[in-house]
Amino acid sequence: MSEPRPGGAPLIEVRGVTKVYEGGSKTAAVSSLSVAFEAGEFSAIAGPSGSGKTTLLNIIGTLDRPTHGEVRYEGRRVSHLPREEAADFRLRSLGFVFQAYNLIPVLTAVENVEYPLVLQKVPGAERRSRALEVLSWVGLESFASRRPDGLSGGQQQRVAVARSIVHRPMVVLADEPTANLDSKTAASLLDAMEALNRERGVTFIFSSHDSAVLARARRVVRMHDGRLVP
Amino acid sequence: MFPAGQQAGNMLRLAWRNVWRNRRRSVITTSSLGFGLAAIMFGQSLIKTLQTQLVEKATGSITGHLQVQHRSIKDYKFPDRYLQSPERAEAALRASPGVTVFGKRIHLTGLVSTPAGSVGALVCAVEPDKERLITTMADHLTSGRYLGGEARGIVMGEKLAQRLDLRLGEKAVVMAQAEDGSMGAGAFRLTGLYRTGSTAFDSQLIYIPLAAAQELLAVGGKVNHLTAKVADLRQVDRIKRDLAEALGAERDLQVLSWKDIDHEIVGIQRYQDGLLTIVLAVVFLIVALGILNTLLMSLFERIREFGVLMAIGARPAWVMELVLFEAALLGLIGSAVGLLGGSAVIAYFGRWGLPLPLGDAISYFMPFPSVVYLRPAWPSHLTAALCVMAVSLAAALAPALRAGRLRPAEALRHV
Repeated sequence: MSEPRPGGAPLIEVRGVTKVYEGGSKTAAVSSLSVAFEAGEFSAIAGPSGSGKTTLLNIIGTLDRPTHGEVRYEGRRVSHLPREEAADFRLRSLGFVFQAYNLIPVLTAVENVEYPLVLQKVPGAERRSRALEVLSWVGLESFASRRPDGLSGGQQQRVAVARSIVHRPMVVLADEPTANLDSKTAASLLDAMEALNRERGVTFIFSSHDSAVLARARRVVRMHDGRLVP
Repeated sequence: MFPAGQQAGNMLRLAWRNVWRNRRRSVITTSSLGFGLAAIMFGQSLIKTLQTQLVEKATGSITGHLQVQHRSIKDYKFPDRYLQSPERAEAALRASPGVTVFGKRIHLTGLVSTPAGSVGALVCAVEPDKERLITTMADHLTSGRYLGGEARGIVMGEKLAQRLDLRLGEKAVVMAQAEDGSMGAGAFRLTGLYRTGSTAFDSQLIYIPLAAAQELLAVGGKVNHLTAKVADLRQVDRIKRDLAEALGAERDLQVLSWKDIDHEIVGIQRYQDGLLTIVLAVVFLIVALGILNTLLMSLFERIREFGVLMAIGARPAWVMELVLFEAALLGLIGSAVGLLGGSAVIAYFGRWGLPLPLGDAISYFMPFPSVVYLRPAWPSHLTAALCVMAVSLAAALAPALRAGRLRPAEALRHV
């Protein structure tokens, strides 16, 4: 996993990012936003619904392009990469956890976890071994052969977390990872994420509007109407 | 475009499971593909069988595979000019490696008479031993025997004999115009009766030995054409060219294949092929629309999933390949179902026959069965199966491009 960097450029640097959606009327989901994240962080982006958290995470994750501004990883500008290069960047450097789990329904838990390694063309035996290892980290090794519809919501989200770290990314971006979970399951998931951060050095940036979840973050970046607020 | 090795295996596994994600839809899609292909195969087999039988019956009844006629002849079915030196044509035919047998003939119109009356007929004067090997008329005998035993024997259809009130062993007089314009006449004893089922053959054709006809017509050793059979009918054009080259110096001779003589059959074949092409195009269009519909529905249902795949690092091209893989699998399964179903239908009608009213119509002009026994046309069937695959892939191009162009963030927002 990524180690905290001794100096130089931050792991992630968001510079003056604005995102305007061209709909019936132009709406700025994020406005002139700048923020930086260091390796090893366990940080949260907080804010009410519509504050721009998901948009910011999508832009940080190269899933969307900013209208203005840029995003840099270790000094490298990634926000305007061509689509194929952006996909390669995500494959090598980023992990994602989504609010709705978003596992591939036709694949088993272990197959879901190993899919980033499939895309990386890692040989089958190594792939399976690494996928089972990270499943054990999130306590699901005995559920490896189950398909998503045979897992609870909390278990599916743990599989999603395992998938997000199996390829040893620089950072895991989690968009409201506990929003669909009950408080006990949410706490358990956050325990798992925290342990991965503490013990394995995985950098997590997650969004939430739940104060109980935000309380677990070591740093909270607050947003309102697309801007950072103190 | 498609990935190789282990990557292909992984994508194939995912595509396979995606195909069966909506089992009912995939079963309907592959079944309709299979049904379409089976219908195409049935049509191909029926038309190819009909075409083959038309050629076999036409060449096997009278035409033969090749003929050498006088160059001035325009109506190839009635070569009424004599070859001055048929031995040159005989030599060329004998030397041709593709020709298995050939015989000399005189065909001319004449009159056959008995005390009961006179009837116009096409007189076919043949070399009996060779004619047996060239045409199948001897196989249609219902009573008596074929030519060969008697120098002045005559074989005719049952209908004609009935009209002439002629029975086996009785005599009929054949009259025809000799080369010098005089009328030649001779008595012939009925040695055999045949029934082909063809009105034209059974009531208008008579067979007599060539030597007797030459004597009757006072033409010496002359004939008005030679007919040959080749070992492989598919080579007939090449053999015709070779023979024409070999006879190049003989300016009064022309070599004709059955396609020149029975050109109406070639026309029928072209018409049928054209019709089949139109049917194929319609079926392929339906196949394409079926696949397109399935893939578009599947794409719409899985937009969010494609977004996830792209988020975790799948390139747009990879997503496109996945959609194409799924289409290829649908096409492959549909083709397999179609090949099995089509083969079973063809095997059934190959074993039990297919009643065909068209056969009765054709049999007026030539011996033709009213029941056809289908034969598989494998090259055409396999081409059709490949076309189903290709059409499946072509129909998948638009959904694949659409999937590849999805923006991950938008796809993830899709509900």
